[in-house]
Amino acid sequence: MTPSAAETKPRDTLLEASGITLSFGGVTALRGVDLIVRKGDLLSIIGPNGAGKTSFLNCISGRYRPTGGNIRFEGQSIDRRSTSARAALGIARTFQNLALFAHMSVLDNIMVGRHHLLKCGFLRGGLYWLGGAQREELSHRRRVEEIIELLEIEQIRHATAGTLSYGMRKRVELARALAVEPKLLLLDEPMAGMNLEEKDDIARYIVEINREWGITVIMIEHDMGVVMDLSDRVAVLNYGEKIADDLPERVSADPHVRAAYLGEDDAAA
Amino acid sequence: MPDELATCPRLLRHHGRHHADEPALREKALGIWQEMTWGQAYARTRAIALGLRGLGVGEGDVVGFVGQNRPDLLFTEIASHAVGALSLGIYKDSLRDEIGYLVGHAGVRVVVAEDEEQVDKLLDLGDAIPTLERIVYCDPRGMLKHEDPRLMAMAELVVQGSALHDREPCLFDRLVDATRPEAPAILCTTSGTTSHPKIAVLMSGPFLNHGMSYLEVDPKGPDDDYVSVLPLPWIGEQVNAVAHFLLSRIRLNFVEDEDTTTNDMREIGPDCLLLAPRVWEAMAADIKARMLEATPFKRFLYAQGLRLSERALERGRRSHIGDMLLGRALRDRLGLSHMRSAATGGAPLGPDVFRFFRAIGVPLRQVYGQTEMVGVYCAHRIDDVDFDTVGVPFRDVEIRINEPDRNGLGEVVVRHPGMFVGYFRNEEATRADVRDSWMYTGDAGYLNARGHLIVLDRMRDLAKLKNGDRFAPQYLENRLKFSPYVGECVVLGQDREQVTAIVCIRYSIVSKWAEARRISFTTYSDLSARPEVRELIRKEVAAINDVLPESQRIGRFLLLYKELDADDGELTRTRKLRRGTINERYADLIGALYSDKRDVDVDTTITLQNGRRQRIRANIAIETLIEPARSAASRSATVEAVS
Repeated sequence: MTPSAAETKPRDTLLEASGITLSFGGVTALRGVDLIVRKGDLLSIIGPNGAGKTSFLNCISGRYRPTGGNIRFEGQSIDRRSTSARAALGIARTFQNLALFAHMSVLDNIMVGRHHLLKCGFLRGGLYWLGGAQREELSHRRRVEEIIELLEIEQIRHATAGTLSYGMRKRVELARALAVEPKLLLLDEPMAGMNLEEKDDIARYIVEINREWGITVIMIEHDMGVVMDLSDRVAVLNYGEKIADDLPERVSADPHVRAAYLGEDDAAA
Repeated sequence: MPDELATCPRLLRHHGRHHADEPALREKALGIWQEMTWGQAYARTRAIALGLRGLGVGEGDVVGFVGQNRPDLLFTEIASHAVGALSLGIYKDSLRDEIGYLVGHAGVRVVVAEDEEQVDKLLDLGDAIPTLERIVYCDPRGMLKHEDPRLMAMAELVVQGSALHDREPCLFDRLVDATRPEAPAILCTTSGTTSHPKIAVLMSGPFLNHGMSYLEVDPKGPDDDYVSVLPLPWIGEQVNAVAHFLLSRIRLNFVEDEDTTTNDMREIGPDCLLLAPRVWEAMAADIKARMLEATPFKRFLYAQGLRLSERALERGRRSHIGDMLLGRALRDRLGLSHMRSAATGGAPLGPDVFRFFRAIGVPLRQVYGQTEMVGVYCAHRIDDVDFDTVGVPFRDVEIRINEPDRNGLGEVVVRHPGMFVGYFRNEEATRADVRDSWMYTGDAGYLNARGHLIVLDRMRDLAKLKNGDRFAPQYLENRLKFSPYVGECVVLGQDREQVTAIVCIRYSIVSKWAEARRISFTTYSDLSARPEVRELIRKEVAAINDVLPESQRIGRFLLLYKELDADDGELTRTRKLRRGTINERYADLIGALYSDKRDVDVDTTITLQNGRRQRIRANIAIETLIEPARSAASRSATVEAVS
């Protein structure tokens, strides 16, 4: 299956994963998955539970080491790079289950995302006014405030992360991922467990992050309405294999996809 | 007023020249209060005005603005006056069709919209608003995807306006000199309690003159901070954020977001403030609810402090111990530490809430007015506050009571030189409300011996029980709403045997109450159907009944399965009840309240805020506190008929 329609927008390749295979003992989670992501794409990965979607994201972010295949980011291989090194290259992610520092304020949680961008170390930080640490903190605070404005979380800026509602914590997590200044943002079920209104909001933010901030997004999402509305491209995984990768409307019409994911009878097609 | 200061643009020019480096306003953006001087405010307004001029806006055109209160929207208003146009403020939470009506009716040519949300509503209207030529947006966020040729960024408008100023440096001065105090300038929508809003036309000279009469009663100056929270299109905010801003140079402060208001207000510590009664009520209810959760020691301090303060207040004094125990801390917490002049207006405020704020040292006073009469024209003098009245009229204001009954109660009729000139493109409505230059307000009230005006309710809302006893539903509703558990309620009883009520619980507080008692629930509907909650509200109602005269007591009530909402047309944008809609929509429930039924089945759909519809099926129980006399009579009648 070729992503033929996506070729109408010739853009540089940002991420190229080829032949990604991942096994845990006897279980093979991913079997030779190829995926090309161009700059500015908003790509959704869908598939039934256990299809390997999160594993695939974990391979990109460096949490898992694939047992086969390789990943190139902006033309260079990142197979041997650590998670933090990949973050420094511009790959950020959010988690399916929340992973915030519950006892820290929202601001501090987001500032953590900028840690790798801070240049002042322990010593200069100690000489707050003399060492330039104040200036540095102010410029980072400004960026963080822009993110806060984008995600409309002004009112919880100083709240403790652990006290927030689930939907708000998801937003803070997204804010932290944005603070990394990513070129590629990996979102693992950004709307899971949200009500309709919260979903509408998050969908709007994702579109703005992609279209206006120019950040490439790979998103795992189950809500087909959201996937079809937002994505430029949809890749479908089933039992660790990629079975489709095309424009949303073509993917939803694909009989194999309907059989695997939407639960329709393959024979009928 | 001297001629060079007789219109809004002229005043701004004066301040821009003579107070160029003094702070005029602040706006919180990216978490920081950003200050703007009079010089900057003047320059920006000039650029917007010339930008509008470049778009062809001139004498007699209408410029609309819609969005959260922002400096640029305020400047837009003054800028449109400068080029001879009229300004029309549109509430930011107006629905698409409401905006369509206003834009169409007023023939608006340019709308300045705060953000994408407002722009979307205008674009959705499509061809329905043919007069609209330009949509200027302030926040570029989310605008990339739109390609409508009418769209234009505020930044672009300002660039064009500045360029025009560079080419013709005298043009703006000429335009401002040409503004006339007796020309229509401000279009102000009335709250539209009944149907489509009417648009009152105000002239800038009389508008400012009336602002001066207000300042005589409630002086303000350049050292005063004002937080602009109420919607800018509302007349009350127009008087404060436009007239008083320009006349007495109070500093305006614009909050970051609606949700950050409490915190932002605390940071500013405003000196003067005007809030709607429901905001004061919500504040008081919130304090009460928080005290329910506080430690016993804090509750003790609260109770002692409040008792001392209230006792002192009754004797017209202040309790220093009460202030130390409670008042000072509470004022600080609410951001009211510097408060010199606090006002409530738009609807009656319950005396209990009033007493509470006065007791904790907030110099709260009631003000009263109408959009047509340039907002407030009656207010308490600061040393003469009477909870039951709305105060005494300003200088130049004449009030008489039309067709008073034997107690002096009748329709409030009023006139003053600053009042509106008529409704915009609505001669018929003008003729109905204004006769021989007197405005017939439709409010029922009377003047007491000390010259204070007392307003009970709308004339047509004053209700009469079947036996002829009069009662004021709003007054009862306010009493009910002082309970922290009651969010909204509707009191009924016109031509009926007794007074009844439809009550909406205050979800934020009742849900906490329920959680603390391990009462499980899912949604608002579910929570309001819990028998424990019904019992809770029953106690609240019974407590209020205890202090009411017999004819006013609430006999039966039920808990509604949803909150009353402006989007459903049940409330106005300033959250007044739309009784007609409510009576119609809940006719079944009201019928049940006046029957022998103990419960009523409901099967209906409600519209959620995002436009989706949800079906609700429920069985609503009706609580009876006082058995209506009628049922006994009718039952015996049936028995007779059978025998």
